[in-house]
Amino acid sequence: MFARVTPARGLTVLSALLLAFVSTAGVAYAQAKEPIRIGWLSSLTGPLSSAAIAENKGVQFAVDEINKNGGIIGRPVELLTRDTAGEPTKAVNFANQLLHSDKVHFIIGPVNSGETLATVGVVAKAGIPNLIIGALESLTNPKKYPRAYRPIITNGQWIRAANNYAIDTLKKKKVAIVGDTSGYGTASAKQAAEMLEKRGIKPVISLIIDANKADLTDEFSKMKAAGADVIMPWTAATSLLARMLNTRGDMQWDVPIVGHPALMALPVKPLLNKPEYWNNAFAAGYRTSTYDENGKLPPRTVELMEKIKPSLGGKIDFTFWWVQLGYDCVKIIEHAVIKAGSTDPAAIEKAMNETKNLEGSFTTYSWSATERDAFPDADAVMNIAGTFKDGSFQLAPTK
Amino acid sequence: MTEHSRGARIATLVMGAVFLVALPFIVRDQYQLHLAQLIGVYWILIAGLNLVIGYSGQLSVGHVGLLAVGAYGFAIIAGKYDFPPLLALIACGALGGLCGFLLGLPSLRLPGFYFAMVTLAFAVIVTEQSVAQTDLTGGGVGLPVPGFAAPFDSPEGFYWLILAVAAAITWLTWNIARLMWGRALIGVRDSEVAARSVGISVYRVKLIVFVFSGVTAGIAGGLFASLQSYITPDTFIFELGLFFFTCIIIGGRGSIFGPFVGTVILTAIPEVVAPLAKLGNFFYGFLLLVVVLLTPEGFGRLFQQALARFNPKVAESTVVAPDPALLRKALQRAED
Amino acid sequence: MLNVIVYGLAIGAVYAATALVYNVMYSTSKVLSVSTGHISMLGGIFGAYFLAQLKLPLIIGLLGAIAVGAAFNYLTELIAVRRVLARSDEHLWLLSTLAVATMISQIMALWWGTEPKPFPRLFPQGFSQGIADQKYWLPIGATIIGAVGLEIFYRRTMYGKLFIATSEDAFAARARGINTDRIRALSYVLSGALGGLAGFAAGQLTFAYFALGFALTLNGFIAIAVGGLGSNLGAVIGGIALGMMSSFATYFFGGEYQQTVAIGVLILVLIVKPEGLFGSKQVRPV
Repeated sequence: MFARVTPARGLTVLSALLLAFVSTAGVAYAQAKEPIRIGWLSSLTGPLSSAAIAENKGVQFAVDEINKNGGIIGRPVELLTRDTAGEPTKAVNFANQLLHSDKVHFIIGPVNSGETLATVGVVAKAGIPNLIIGALESLTNPKKYPRAYRPIITNGQWIRAANNYAIDTLKKKKVAIVGDTSGYGTASAKQAAEMLEKRGIKPVISLIIDANKADLTDEFSKMKAAGADVIMPWTAATSLLARMLNTRGDMQWDVPIVGHPALMALPVKPLLNKPEYWNNAFAAGYRTSTYDENGKLPPRTVELMEKIKPSLGGKIDFTFWWVQLGYDCVKIIEHAVIKAGSTDPAAIEKAMNETKNLEGSFTTYSWSATERDAFPDADAVMNIAGTFKDGSFQLAPTK
Repeated sequence: MTEHSRGARIATLVMGAVFLVALPFIVRDQYQLHLAQLIGVYWILIAGLNLVIGYSGQLSVGHVGLLAVGAYGFAIIAGKYDFPPLLALIACGALGGLCGFLLGLPSLRLPGFYFAMVTLAFAVIVTEQSVAQTDLTGGGVGLPVPGFAAPFDSPEGFYWLILAVAAAITWLTWNIARLMWGRALIGVRDSEVAARSVGISVYRVKLIVFVFSGVTAGIAGGLFASLQSYITPDTFIFELGLFFFTCIIIGGRGSIFGPFVGTVILTAIPEVVAPLAKLGNFFYGFLLLVVVLLTPEGFGRLFQQALARFNPKVAESTVVAPDPALLRKALQRAED
Repeated sequence: MLNVIVYGLAIGAVYAATALVYNVMYSTSKVLSVSTGHISMLGGIFGAYFLAQLKLPLIIGLLGAIAVGAAFNYLTELIAVRRVLARSDEHLWLLSTLAVATMISQIMALWWGTEPKPFPRLFPQGFSQGIADQKYWLPIGATIIGAVGLEIFYRRTMYGKLFIATSEDAFAARARGINTDRIRALSYVLSGALGGLAGFAAGQLTFAYFALGFALTLNGFIAIAVGGLGSNLGAVIGGIALGMMSSFATYFFGGEYQQTVAIGVLILVLIVKPEGLFGSKQVRPV
């Protein structure tokens, strides 16, 4: 009789039994330790990738740190990264994939405002909490997107900080606005002009420049001819900003340039013809990555720098606030899950709405049922452009 | 065509139709349904474009511009001005056709490569203007797009709407290709001089086909906009125009099924390589190269070859032999 | 205003060089490679790499950039063009060269980075020279050298005549014993070298940037279309015309209308003269 049971058949029966055993055990195990899945829509290639790559470092470090300490409420954290390459169609596809196929519990991003405009509705429809890290105003809305929360500054806060500095501190009145031809650039230039006019100042000239234009002499001649006494660029393109600084220096026109944070970003430095061309330039920045009068950074910033430096190769050669932001996004999720006791979206929404003064590395976060933008105005400061050191900057003089 | 193979063809078509209609219940989740909707929308444009590139041989790389026209048209007509979505969709088709007419009128007279350049220029100009004309298109910030009314407001309902439109357009193109028009088109593609000599008005044929492709692009644009629920100029980049072109060539010219398979595969590849994150785009290029090198004739031909293996055409031999009686008569007449 | 002209000439020279590269490749293979602009992108990036990062002397950097351009284009011919041309006459080479272009862009984005990086000064010069700055005249000079060199090559050397023979009638050339495959490969090497030189010369103007490839492919294509396929003079004139048009359009209408005006005007030219300014009328044997 046993001759009938061939090795093959015996093996099949044995493996079937083993499989059944493992799967039931597996199911029991899985239910106890179902990982918390975080979807991360990042534009690792394509436009704004330097911001995304730095944010990615922060996100990954936070996830690793949490998992080393036993996860959140005992559950491991699983990070699913998708490279959207700056394309809204890809962002929508991957958002759908993460939401429905991978069934994530949270979504961070996308990084570009253009992509976020397309995905925030999709994520809201699925009812999954979304951490918004794009700056355009319309990305958060308590009624349309009840589970979208923004930890980052808004475009308006950047522009207001810069406008206030140019008008109140530098005492300038004749503003030249510069935007690039991208969606963000044209929208921001328009917004900047509107906010200036609310303060009673009409810009003397407003220019839109292609970020790849290699020569800006004519644009600067036009601005000089219009009598501009301050230039305010709203573009994230480091090549355009570097060329602006170069043209200003080459024509030896000592007009202050005040604007977008990218003005002080490290990739600008090697593109400058002379290092002193970076003088007399001020960029919108953050209190937590600014050296105070004693040359010290806030303690939470230093804490994160010490922790993360080894995994970054021992030095920090990119703007650190991106890393802080990425790290904080994951920590915010951790806080929400602990407070809610689960990953149930409705509970998360309630927990987030009740979050007040959550101290992060980047800033202190407070949300409510009617307010989805957490960044406090007071934490938006102006930095001196050429003062990059270990990812942070010096405070611009207030007199 | 034998009864056997005709029956087999109808059976396959019916099975395919049943599969497509039942798709929302077969797919695992909303994401795969979204992909199916996207493929459907792309196919509506590509089916029309197929007639232009695959059948009449005109290299249009700028159809993304017509897609943008349809998309923004829908967003403005149905969104800003609150027209009923179905009516807006028809308006978008008409708008696309009009743009196709205006674009094709001067440019179809140009030899192939220069025509491609004009369509390319059209796409670039449309993209730039969608950023510049802030009052109309929302500029860089873009426009939100409304969905359709019931019963098309659920994902399944919207899928069936796309399926219905796609099926109608596919049926139209299949008929055009199959009947006299299709032969005229292929004639124009392969040898314009010969086509002209047989009395085909080459320019008129090219223009009508191009306008038709404009209509399908406009309709596809409207559905695309509604699918994405928000459109920005970043969506309509030139690479998308190249993508449509690629789907058709990879599918094989002169076939309808081939480009459809091409669309499905090319839409699916980026999703499959998605977990590779940073390396994903590189692998997309790599896979594209591999596919092109392996199937230079396109999938359509591969499919036909596979079919031929299952349905070998038995060669009927016709004997060519003289008819002696007739020959004798003709010779006798010649002698007289 | 003088600035507008000089800038237009400089960027036009880069477009003209790309158009020349298109022309040389097209003449022997009837292929318009999507990766044409990427050759110059590689020339710029590797020039910056050799000179600024490896600190090699100028002549080594220059030859290195030229070599990289030539090698890349030769590989393109080997991988994307040769097999495709042999197998079918459909426009499959468009897809294979597109795939190659995508891959090389992604590799450069991953290795070199996605931010533009600086290209070093080639000759000592201050920065307040205005229109005499070398960043304008290097590309103009390189394109002139390239165009003149090509003319001499075509008219005075044996291989140049072989190129012309192959481009006029490939079958007849083969019948006369010319190895058209090798001629095609050689033409790709030559045009790759030209592209590498152009990218190297334009480095200070454009910065070493991975996204340059696609932009140059597009603009070079427009330049050769307007100038007329098959004519080297047309390539140069077309490139200069496009550069000047863009520069003037930006000056008068602003950055957001730059492409619309420049391309719009050139399209009008095409409609008036469908084979481009200097292109040969497409006469086909019936």
